[in-house]
Order: sequence, then structure tokens, then C-alpha cells
Amino acid sequence: MTGPDIQSGLMRAGILARIASRNLLAGRAKSLIVGGIILFGTALVVVGSSLVDGVDAGMRRSIQGSLGGHIQVYDARSKDDLALYGGAMGEPDLQPIEDFSRLARTLRSVPDVKAIVPMAIDVATIAMGSPFDLALERLRSDVRRCDGAPEAGRCSRSSGSGEEYRAHRAQVRRMVSLLADELSQARRIAAEGAADSAGRERSPADIERARSEAFWAAFDRDPLGSLEFLENRIAPLSVGGGSLPLRYVATDLGAFAKAFDGLQILEGSPVPRGARGILLGKRYAEETAKNRVRVGDTITLEAPARSGYASSVNVKVYGFVQFKGLERTDLAGLMNLMDLATWRRLYGYPTPEQAAEIEGMKAAAGARAVAREGAEAELFGEGAGELVERGRAAPLGGYLPDGGRGGRSQGALDEVYSQKGIDAGVVKNAAVILADARRIPETIRAIEEACRRDGLPIKAVSWREASGTVGQFVTLARVVLYGAMFILFAVALVVINNATVMATLNRVKEIGTMRAMGAQRRFVLLMVLLETMAVGLVFGVAGAALGGGIVWLVGAAGGIPATNGDLYFFYSGPSLVPRLGAASLGGALVIVLGVSALSALYPALLATRVAPVVAMQSDD
Amino acid sequence: MGVIVSAENVTKDYDLGRAKVRALRGVSLDLRRGQFLSIAGPSGSGKTTLLNLIGCVDTPTSGAVRIDGRDTRALSERELTTLRLHKIGFIFQSFNLVSVLSLYQNVEFPLLLQGGLTRAERRKRVEMLLGAVGLGQHARHRPSELSGGQRQRVAIARALVTRPPLVLADEPTANLDSHTGAAIIDLMKDMNRRDGTTFLFSTHDPTVMSHASAVIHVADGRLVEPEPVSSVSAMTGG
Repeated sequence: MTGPDIQSGLMRAGILARIASRNLLAGRAKSLIVGGIILFGTALVVVGSSLVDGVDAGMRRSIQGSLGGHIQVYDARSKDDLALYGGAMGEPDLQPIEDFSRLARTLRSVPDVKAIVPMAIDVATIAMGSPFDLALERLRSDVRRCDGAPEAGRCSRSSGSGEEYRAHRAQVRRMVSLLADELSQARRIAAEGAADSAGRERSPADIERARSEAFWAAFDRDPLGSLEFLENRIAPLSVGGGSLPLRYVATDLGAFAKAFDGLQILEGSPVPRGARGILLGKRYAEETAKNRVRVGDTITLEAPARSGYASSVNVKVYGFVQFKGLERTDLAGLMNLMDLATWRRLYGYPTPEQAAEIEGMKAAAGARAVAREGAEAELFGEGAGELVERGRAAPLGGYLPDGGRGGRSQGALDEVYSQKGIDAGVVKNAAVILADARRIPETIRAIEEACRRDGLPIKAVSWREASGTVGQFVTLARVVLYGAMFILFAVALVVINNATVMATLNRVKEIGTMRAMGAQRRFVLLMVLLETMAVGLVFGVAGAALGGGIVWLVGAAGGIPATNGDLYFFYSGPSLVPRLGAASLGGALVIVLGVSALSALYPALLATRVAPVVAMQSDD
Repeated sequence: MGVIVSAENVTKDYDLGRAKVRALRGVSLDLRRGQFLSIAGPSGSGKTTLLNLIGCVDTPTSGAVRIDGRDTRALSERELTTLRLHKIGFIFQSFNLVSVLSLYQNVEFPLLLQGGLTRAERRKRVEMLLGAVGLGQHARHRPSELSGGQRQRVAIARALVTRPPLVLADEPTANLDSHTGAAIIDLMKDMNRRDGTTFLFSTHDPTVMSHASAVIHVADGRLVEPEPVSSVSAMTGG
């Protein structure tokens, strides 16, 4: 393009802009109607997208900072997709990753990977004692605290201990009385079965004793002995208790605390390195467990193990936790954190040491696999059926876990696992923390490539995808916002189009004159387009400024308060502060200019079809 | 003098629904450079149609119109527009000024479409023409602030600003009183004498007609002079 061409182009652009600006002022009513719609639409886009961006940022903080990390990895052969906050049909069915240390080695070779936190998210139940058991347990704790003699002056120095003891003692006495009434009534209205009567034949006498003045008068002299009587003779007569559902994340608690620094221990202490233990969410302890579980308690977790049979394991509650900024949310408040060894024990996944030990026992015993059809012959020889030698029953306690006390894994509360033991075992998924959070898509590709190279069937997903339906909230909010925008701008498009068509028809003579004088069709097209786009630009900028002002005001007023726990999570705190970003403003202006151009296209094409001969027609 | 416009057996039909109206029925004429001509005839005689064809804002049904030697039948719509921009100036019955532009901007407009001149050159030419039509002091005014006669003078300045060899005026005095109309015709005639620009204007006003150096009479779509082309040439001494 030559200099004069450029100059001519600029001159034509100048006259177009001049005509456009003059026409805008001349047609004030039309400009104001069209401009008003554009202003409102732009302000809405800016405010709406700022709110959604605010929620997006809040959720990003909540999810990345509490559980999700930047990327999650899990076995690609899993039946379901990973859903950190649970799926529509409950917990997703994930294929266990047999050896986390191997996966970690591969992940650490990927650039940008800063930390890897092994995880297994699952649901168990806490077996709760009956209310009577709990009351007795509290009374026993008081007695222990007062060194076994609460009324002998040993509690007097610790303020409150004596009062608590008396209150709990009175509560137990009341419960004994209520239990006696309940049993008496039950006996009256129902014939007692043989089995039942066998179990309760002593109960009237025991109950009478427990209700007697003499028993309670002597209680303080031998509280432990009295408690033993109540626990052995009276507590079995009470019913109730039940269980509490518990959703938890089993993880390497040390690595977790390091990776998610929003974790706060409100009461108690961290689980010691390598020890088995659980940190209950503060909200869970208060609202679900109703304060029936205390720091220092040992709780019994029950869950169906891999074999399908119920399994249970005892674990100590080391503390109550919450995530900074997510104190009131239910979604993050479910964060009960447990060590991996307990989870593996609960679900029957052996540690590498246990697996090696089992293999050793098999080798020592000469165990080998036999086919089903030849099993009898292999086991008993050809003369199967003849009694060769009578065996002697021997206890299996030395071989079975925890001395073979059925399904409950009572012992090993104080066992300590090495870091190697924690790493070299089964997990279900792992959170990956990146050095540069902006590189999530590239790192996902790099992780999958590295895993493919190392023969690991691993799927890597972003924190948003890993969050399941929760993570899609922002996407949904955006879809709703854009849907509303689409409707609004579709209406605006029709209105602007009509107004511009009317304005074009009113200017047929002027356009014909320009054409007669030598204006090309392109000039006319640009003139009409530019006029509408100028309105779009002027009112779009004004709308963006208005939207920006609203966003600023909302922010200055402290944001939109979270009225429930879910909003607390989505806002990542007590209020939503909209985020006014360049993308919101720029996006709004691009949309507005696009809509303006689109709505002016038909009238502009109409204008190009105005023949120059129109200029010669008289006004009559 | 060379021929600026040549029409050869030109016809023009208009379709009005089922009816077809023949506005021109085989018109032939030559216009030479520097002439000051009037097309005269009653309403509906075809004079505006003839002007439209010569002004390249319409195309003939048959026959040929040549402007400065270029056959308009062979030109694309874009080329016709360029031809109008560089060869023809228009003065309209209703002035047709762009209402949102000042007088200065109205006159400058065709120069901006043409391109090629610097701002200073444009300014010089526009101011010279506005001065020539007696509106130098009103350059910043809007058309709505002027009388009909003043507006038509602006239109004359606008038609002449690109220095076209041909200016077409369709009933330029129709919306003016007789005194103003006469002044406008005098102004056009001055421009014709000064620059040698060919003027062709339609009118049915005998007073206005009398100012023309030659008159082309049109009736029922035909030139009614016995020998239109030669008579026009003869009358103008061409």
C-alpha cells in the first residue's frame, strides 16, 4: 500500500467517523435507546463475570488448598471418574494403585511437580456406644482425673473437676432410674422369652441395687468398683448407640499438612510421624458426632473390607481440624484426615512388610497353589476319607492379626510406620502440587506421558475435573450467565437492528446522494456499521465503567455474604468479593462490539443497495 | 471542442407492475466541453431520465451513453461510481446536502472520497469555492441554518470542488424563488465561463431556460428539435 493510498484511507476513515459521530448526535433518541440497552448489557456482563470469576477464584482456593491440589492422578482402569467430594451414586469405584512409591518416582520426574500427596477417600462408620456407655465413660474419665478419689479432696485443687464429676454421677444415676422404669414396663407388656430371661434373670436385683441409696452413698468411696458394676451389670441392659457415618481422607498426614497449609489443628495435636491416628473435622465433631467423640478417644471404624466382610479397626483421635477460610463449610468440613496405615488395615491391604511376611510363612509351610478339581487328592492324598491322626486344637492367636480377635483390629494402636512403609503401599489417588499453577494442562499431558513411558496406567485430571459436580459449579454458573447474556443480547440485537433499519430508511436520500457523488458501496457499509459500533463502543465503555463501579462498591462493602455452608465453600470464606479482571472488561467490550456489528450488518447491507438514482428523485 | 457526452439511440423502459413505461425512445445527442445547456420539457417528458443516464446513476435499456469517451455499458457498478466521482458533479433539486455536516464539510466531502489532496490543498480549494459562491463566512454553519438559495450555492460549490468536466443539475431552481433561481443560474454560468466546465441542467421554467446557451427540448421521450445533435452543436457554435 502506497503513501497516498494510506492517506486516502485515513481520510475516508476520518469522514466516516465524522459522519458517524454527527449522526449519533442528530439521532439522539435512537442512540439513547440502543445505547441504554448496550450499557445495561455491558454492565451486566462485567458484574456477572466478575461474580463468577470471584466464585471461580474462591472455589480454586477452597479445592486446591484443602484437598485437590492442582492435579489429581488415579488409576486409568477405574470404573468411575475420581470425584473428591463424592459422586451422584456415592463414592467412586477407583482401582487401587498398588505401589504409591513407584507412582511418586514417576511423578517426581515430571517438571514443575513440587509435591505429591497420596490419598484414599472413603466412607466408614464410627461404632458408637450407647448413651449409657458414654455417660459411664465420662464419669470414669472424671474419676481418673481425680486420681480415683473425687470426693477425697483430690479434685478440689483443679477447679471444675469436682463439679463435673458430680454432674456426671448425677446423670448416670438418673439414667439408671430411667433404665429401671423402662425395663419394668417392658416386662409388663411382653412375655419374656427364654433366651431373654436367661440374659436378664439377674437384672431386677442388679437394677434395684443400682437404684439404691446405699449404692450411691458408697459410690464415692470406691468409684472404680462401682463403675465396674455399672459397666458389667447395668450397661448391657441398655440399648441404643448406633453408628456415625464418617467420610475421610486417608493420607500421608505429614505430606498433607505440608502441601495444604490451610490445615489448622484447633484442638489436640498432629498425629505423630508414622503413628496411626485420625484428625476429625471440627464441624464433623460438633455437628455430626454431637461432641460424643473427644480428642484422645479411641474410636472404632467399621467398613466392608475388600473381601466383602465387615472389618473394623480402632484408631485414636489426635485432634480436631479445620481449613482456614472454610470453617463453616460442609464440603470442606467433612475433612476428617486419617493415616494411610489405618485405612489399609481397615480395607485389608497388607503393608509391604506384611506381604513379605505372608510370603515367608507360605514358603516355610511349603504352601503352593492347587487346582480346584484335584484339591481333595492334593490335600488328603489318595486315601482321603480315612482318619490318619487326630489333631490337637491350638490357639491361632500368634498367627492372626491382633491375636485373632475376630474382625476387630484392636491392637497395634501404638505401632509406628516408616516413611517407606507409608509410601510403598496401596493408595487410591494422589494430589499433585505444582511449582507453577498456570501450567496445569501442560503438566497433565507430561504426567500422562511419563506414566505411559513407565508402564503405569494413570489418568491425570485438573483439580476442577477431580472435584466432580462441585467443580462444575462454576462452569454451570458461567453457562447460566452466558445464557442470560445471550438472551439479553439477542433482544438487544433485534432492537438495535430495527432501530438501525429505521434510521437507514430515513437516510435513503442522503445515502443515494453520497452514492451519486461517488461513494462506493463499501463506504456506505462502513458508515452504517461504524455508526452502530460507535454507539456500542461509547455506551459499552460507559456500561463497563458502571459495571466496574458496581463491582468496586460491592467489594468496598465487604462483598456478598455467604449465607450457608455451601456458599462458604464456593466463596472460600465468609463473603464473595467479585473480581474485576481485564478479561471481564475486555470480554464485555468485545461482546458488545460484536453484537453492535452484527445488529448493524443487515441495515448496512440494506444501505449499500440504495441506488444513486434515489438522489435525483424529488421530495414530492 | 471535444465531446464530453455522447448518447446514441438511447431508450429507457420502466417496469411499473404489469405495465411497461417507455421514458426515452431513441435519443441521440453529443455534448461538447464547455457548453451551458438546458434540457427543457414538460413533466414526464423524460428529461430527468436523460439526465440520470448521462449522470451514470441509471443505465439505458438500449443504446449507448459515453462519458468522456467511455461507454457506460462496459463499466461495472464500481467503475461507474468512480467515473461519477471524477467526471461528474451533481446539483440536485432538493440540494441534498448532508445535514449533519457543516458547509465546509459538505463541500469537502467529494474530495475526501477522491483522496489524493493534502489537508491544506483541500482547505484552499473548499474555501475558494465557498468564497466564490458567497458563503465564505458561513463555512461552519449547518445546512439547516441556511436559506434555500444559500444551500443550492453550497451544492454548486460541492459539485465543482473535484473540478469535474461535467456538471448535471436537475431542476436546480425548482425549489427557489425566481430571483434566487436567476442568481443561481448566473452563478453556474460564471463557473462555466471561468473553468470551462460543461453544465447541463433540466428545467421547465422559460426564464431559467433563457439563460442557457442552448436548449435541448424533450417531449414524450424524444428530442423534439428537428436535428437535435447538430442543432445543439450549431446553437452553441460547436
